[in-house]
Amino acid sequence: MEFFDVAWRLLAVLVAFLTLPLLVGQTEHKVMAHMQGRVGPMYAGGFHGWAQLVADGVKFAQKEDVVPAAADRRVFQLAPAVALVPYLLVLIAIPIAPNGVVGQVVDAGIFFVLAVLGVGVLGQVMGGWASANKYSLLGGMRTAAQLLAYELPLLLAAASVAMAAGTLSLPGMLESWQWWWLPWQLIGAFVFFTAGIAELHRPPFDAPLAPEEIIFGPLTEYGGLRFALFMLAEYAGIVVISALTAVLFLGGWHGPFADQLGWLWMLLKTAALCFLVIWMRVAWPRLRADQIQRFAWTCLVPLALFQIALTGVVKVVFL
Amino acid sequence: MSGLVLLGAERGFLSPTGVEITFLLVGLVTLGGAVLAVTSRQLVHAALWLVVALGGIAVLYLLLTAEFIAWVQVLIYVGSVVVLLLFGLMLTKAPIGPSPDADSGNRWVALAVALATAATLVTVVVDAFRTAWIELDVPQGTTEIVGRSLFRHWVLPFEALSLLLLAALVGAIVLSRRKKERR
Amino acid sequence: MGLPGSGLAKGLAVTLRTMTRRSVTAHYPDVQPELPARSRGVIGLFEENCTVCMLCARECPDWCIYIDSHKETLPAAAPGGRERSRNVLDRFAIDFSLCMYCGICIEVCPFDALFWSPEFEYAETDIRDLTHERDKLREWMWTVPEPPPLDDAAEEPKEIAAARKAADKLAAAQAAAAESASGESASGESAAGEGGGDA
Repeated sequence: MEFFDVAWRLLAVLVAFLTLPLLVGQTEHKVMAHMQGRVGPMYAGGFHGWAQLVADGVKFAQKEDVVPAAADRRVFQLAPAVALVPYLLVLIAIPIAPNGVVGQVVDAGIFFVLAVLGVGVLGQVMGGWASANKYSLLGGMRTAAQLLAYELPLLLAAASVAMAAGTLSLPGMLESWQWWWLPWQLIGAFVFFTAGIAELHRPPFDAPLAPEEIIFGPLTEYGGLRFALFMLAEYAGIVVISALTAVLFLGGWHGPFADQLGWLWMLLKTAALCFLVIWMRVAWPRLRADQIQRFAWTCLVPLALFQIALTGVVKVVFL
Repeated sequence: MSGLVLLGAERGFLSPTGVEITFLLVGLVTLGGAVLAVTSRQLVHAALWLVVALGGIAVLYLLLTAEFIAWVQVLIYVGSVVVLLLFGLMLTKAPIGPSPDADSGNRWVALAVALATAATLVTVVVDAFRTAWIELDVPQGTTEIVGRSLFRHWVLPFEALSLLLLAALVGAIVLSRRKKERR
Repeated sequence: MGLPGSGLAKGLAVTLRTMTRRSVTAHYPDVQPELPARSRGVIGLFEENCTVCMLCARECPDWCIYIDSHKETLPAAAPGGRERSRNVLDRFAIDFSLCMYCGICIEVCPFDALFWSPEFEYAETDIRDLTHERDKLREWMWTVPEPPPLDDAAEEPKEIAAARKAADKLAAAQAAAAESASGESASGESAAGEGGGDA
């Protein structure tokens, strides 16, 4: 019985991992197109190009597996897996509905999630180095620098919620969540979401990829299925960061009729945040690498520290 | 902690459990990763083997049900220290393929120091715990337990460590500022 | 640019507003584009008007018009008259891989034998197939749209102006004739107006 329970949960997580990123990708195709006055893909699958990403996947799978002659073969081939698997693992720990609807309850959930997310960036750094391409190397260095800069505010903002809830477990945080945490943790939410986007290298923090200056950063030499894995990692990352922000700061499954419709609230909040991620990509220009660093150290870190101080004061004085 | 350590006099090392076998295997992987990290002639490979070694240690913590420590290990070492290391390597010198200057002249001294450290640690740990046995069915290293023991019994070392880190931070700032003035 | 971040907000607002509006994408293969009259697609040939004067071929900057012809002699219309010779078109081809769509040939044609057609789907897989012969050019002739109506304040077309002038003159002459010979009511000449321009 217990075995089937675990297997069922893991299967559900796997299905979510394989569908939600594609859903986000397709939404990005369409939303971005309409924000630019276009219509986006229209043919694949018949109805408004709904199967475009499936078609892309088929195309990627057919491509030749190319490894540059000068590249470090094994590291080059391993990098996409290192980039992708962490997001799958993270998805296991994210609760989507009350009463233990979660892949696996992890005691130090928030630590688990942030730790594993950090490993994902390692894959990009590996790919950047192993490609034997100077643009890839530049991109890899920017990736590493960006990770180091944004890991801190990400952790601090998450720590603020953990302080407020008095637990590190994600379902536990949601149990004690109240609506007024929303304004209370507002700064933390901003810091967390921004730092999360920066870790994913999504615009406006996509200097590590920056197609207009360094081709495609660490992914320059990748093609075919390995490139597809990197892309999947990026969109899985959007899902994960949005879901985490929803859980930590927007109350996850909290909402009217949470007992029955908790999962819907969670999905809606996640979807809204995913939309925001896409929206920012369309609306805003890219920050320079040095601006990204300055923003992290002079803006996000102090804000996160202020949020922690605020959380502490409110927690001690009013609760 | 002492209350959680049972005397395992009646238990033997024969007929090991699954966890123990896994522990041993992961330990071997960790050791292998560490040895390769030291002996590899390719700088970045060495750093990546270090990831294997550090990750292996995290898995060992997990097997001992020390969940919190395990994730902190991954977060700090794999997520940050190794990335910092790789960043430093890429900034300075990270050729693809073996680098001839990756070999150190004092490798025998290093080996001696390493062996001596290992011997000391093993002796001390074995001597301290002997046949003490941890019951793994009850979680031993959850956040709550770690936090309690850290802030009840080990507050002073903790604070001393943070002071050390602060000093290092200030030192780094001072060093980087002085360089600018000289320019 | 008062508040910090107002630029960012403006970017978000503009993109959101654009998203709620209809896209401007032309769904071309599914929906044919609505081309304006006077679109320069291809050049159609109205053979009946062509006199093989060769002006178009000579004026063409790219030398992309090929014309072959021969002379035919027509028997005299009236007995004892002179025989007439006439040019007969054998080949009229335009190489659209050379044509730069300047429209000079159409401008210079004195007999209105060449027209702009808005037809544009004539891609070929071989560059040699882009030389289109008279039958194809004639086919395109039937896709030539009616000339668009003139603007309200535009000058009258020359043909109509000339016809009107002639008609006015005739009417004035008739009126004068009627006045001078008011008694005699006979005037057998028909006062049908002269036809003006040709198509």
